[in-house]
Amino acid sequence: MSSMRRYVVGYTATENGRAAVNLAAALARSQQASLDLVMVQSPDSPYAGTYPPSGRGYERILAEQLDQWLAEGLALVPHDVTAKAHVRQAESTAEGLIEAAREFSAAVIVVGAARSSLLRRFSIGSVASALLHAADVPVALAPKGYRRQASITRLTCGIGTRPGADDVMQAAVGAASWRSLPLRLVSLVALDPDNPEAVRAAEANMSERFAAAAALLPGKVTRTVAHGKTIEDAIEGLDWDEGELMMIGSSRLARNNRLFLGATANKVLRTLPVPMVVVPRNYRSDRTTPGPTTPDRTTPADLNKDG
Amino acid sequence: MSESTGTRRASGLSRKGLKGGTVGLLGAVVIGVSCIAPAYTLTASLGPTIAEVGVQLPAIFLVGFIPMLLVALGYRELNNAMPDSGTSFTWATRAFGPWVGWMGGWGLVAATIIVLSNLAAVAVEFFYLMLAQVTGNASLAALAESVPLNIATTLVFISLACWVSYRGMETTKKLQYILVGFQLLVLAWFAVAAFVHVGNGTAFDASAISAEWFNPFAVDSFSTFAAGVSLSIFIYWGWDVTLTMNEETKDPEKTPGRAAAATIFVIVVLYMLMALAVLSYAGIGTEGLGAGNPENQESIFAALAGPVLGPFAILMSLAVLSSSAASLQSTFVSPARTMLAMGHYRALPASYGRISPRFKSPGYATVAAAIASGAFYTVTRVLSENALWDTITALGMMICFYYGVSALACVWYFRAEAFAGARNFFFKFLSPLLGGIILLVMFFQTAKDSLDPAYGSGSSVGGVGLVFILGCGVILLGAVLMFVMYKRHPGFFRGETLRRGTAADDVHA
Repeated sequence: MSSMRRYVVGYTATENGRAAVNLAAALARSQQASLDLVMVQSPDSPYAGTYPPSGRGYERILAEQLDQWLAEGLALVPHDVTAKAHVRQAESTAEGLIEAAREFSAAVIVVGAARSSLLRRFSIGSVASALLHAADVPVALAPKGYRRQASITRLTCGIGTRPGADDVMQAAVGAASWRSLPLRLVSLVALDPDNPEAVRAAEANMSERFAAAAALLPGKVTRTVAHGKTIEDAIEGLDWDEGELMMIGSSRLARNNRLFLGATANKVLRTLPVPMVVVPRNYRSDRTTPGPTTPDRTTPADLNKDG
Repeated sequence: MSESTGTRRASGLSRKGLKGGTVGLLGAVVIGVSCIAPAYTLTASLGPTIAEVGVQLPAIFLVGFIPMLLVALGYRELNNAMPDSGTSFTWATRAFGPWVGWMGGWGLVAATIIVLSNLAAVAVEFFYLMLAQVTGNASLAALAESVPLNIATTLVFISLACWVSYRGMETTKKLQYILVGFQLLVLAWFAVAAFVHVGNGTAFDASAISAEWFNPFAVDSFSTFAAGVSLSIFIYWGWDVTLTMNEETKDPEKTPGRAAAATIFVIVVLYMLMALAVLSYAGIGTEGLGAGNPENQESIFAALAGPVLGPFAILMSLAVLSSSAASLQSTFVSPARTMLAMGHYRALPASYGRISPRFKSPGYATVAAAIASGAFYTVTRVLSENALWDTITALGMMICFYYGVSALACVWYFRAEAFAGARNFFFKFLSPLLGGIILLVMFFQTAKDSLDPAYGSGSSVGGVGLVFILGCGVILLGAVLMFVMYKRHPGFFRGETLRRGTAADDVHA
């Protein structure tokens, strides 16, 4: 049994798909994870009423094309990272990726987040958006045209004032610790004339979180409370490393272990030029390692006890 | 690290499909009926067929099924023997080589492109009719008559269907059941209401049903008979889909055959009911609501639904609109995939073989099909007052052509085993041979007759009937394009990409 972590990459033969492969390689490099490039194909329903029938000839041509695309995708993966290719059929791409992540007990799903739109540099594409509503594992989003494959150099963790922030902070502290990376805690505040105390409240909340994180990672944690007229302005004021990775938690509206983005996270996602990992609420990073330590799984030992 | 790199390079691709075999008998019948799209088919073809054969409409509908059945039996054999290909293009190429194969593929693509333009135009007509019925403003229905507006709206409908198809979206099972159920219900309602009017003496031109209506030999000439049969091929076009369903069904041994029988039973009963209802209610007079009035023949339900169904006429508009819009979208898939296969084998420029990386659909070919059908409709609509009528007649010809070629491809492909047993003789030789010959005879007869400028709706260009120009012009255009392709990319024509063969070769290979 290999204990290697697996990352599912939502691959398409587009700039978006290549960005996802690059980010996945960067994430995998520093921690011996292997990649599973997954192309999702929607099944041809007999109820679609295709006439005259197109037969298997078309399916074979399509399958050949998918194989060729996946070979191109695998060729993008650097040689020190293990990767496999898969084709999965599902009604939607998001559904297919979530199923694949369950099948492989994957730790992360990586996708390109860009929408094919000329208007916004970073608005969320439909697949990424659907994943953020339904996935039960962290989702990593590669910004448009992400090329870097070198290891991540710094983690930034978005801290809010609401519940949920603890989950993402725990995940970020864990990640920074086994990747030996510096961790920056960031709190974003939009200045509100009606609430002049907002910045001070955020500072107070930050001090508390910082103390907790610094106790676990002595000397590796920094903190910033960024403010601006809007959240977008606050983000513009932050500096970013070239190898930065942002982690944010999903909204308190999400059911446990499901992702859902709050308004602030959504704004961050649209403005931020760096890759981002969205962590589900109450997500525990150890749950991807199957075994008797995971209490929600029935192990053979439990069955014996009951019998 | 070298070990894991090795694993990566060596690892095969993993594939997982959804479970096959989900279609039962009812589902297969629904699929068959949806491919025939009876509400659309009847409104488009009843008028032109009555114009040819008058009261012998029921007879021609019954006779028209025979060649369709014969050819479909051959189709099933080809589909079982070469499940890996499956279009007229590949079949005809495998049997007769690249030149005939190219023309077979062209015939299929041309037929579907013509039907796309017709589906969109019928949808547009009933769209405006429905707007008029909803708002109570009758002048809105007349908007469909304005040539520029009609062309513009039709192009919008074609573009929408192209977009949906490009994105790989499909009609779901649930929607298909609703669409088919609704169509059948409204058509049956129309027939019953028409007979009630006849019984109450409120019909337009009550005509008593007579045995002569069912006698195909009462049709006045062979030309008329041929025209009627090629039109009625069109009304059954779609039925053979039930025979090609195999692994999709729960019981591949029994379901396809039973579904084909059940579908044809439903369709023949429905067509007889509708033919008799229209003839009994409206007669074939050329005045007013008469089914012989050229004003009504382009779209018979647009003329008759109001008087027959009264305030419920809007249901008929909805049935025809939904039936033609759903078919418009699903029919886009077929020419796009055939062109994709032709591009893949370099029988068309390689760009036709391009697959959209985002939607995994034949993107280039789908857009090409939309442009071609839009252009075809625009030209036809500008040249003819009765564009719908003429396209349906040209379409009948085109179907006879590619079905005929495919049926003979079946005979030739299986020639080595044709006489090995009664089953082979009947299904692989006799049925497709008879069916293919009948259809090609119908094709040549219709082509010859349509030279006459008075043929069909009576539209003509330079003293030649428009139907001839549309039907034979499209085939000629195909032949010209074929030579252009041969000059530019001769590989396919030299058998480099798709080789000729017979069933015997394929078994021994």
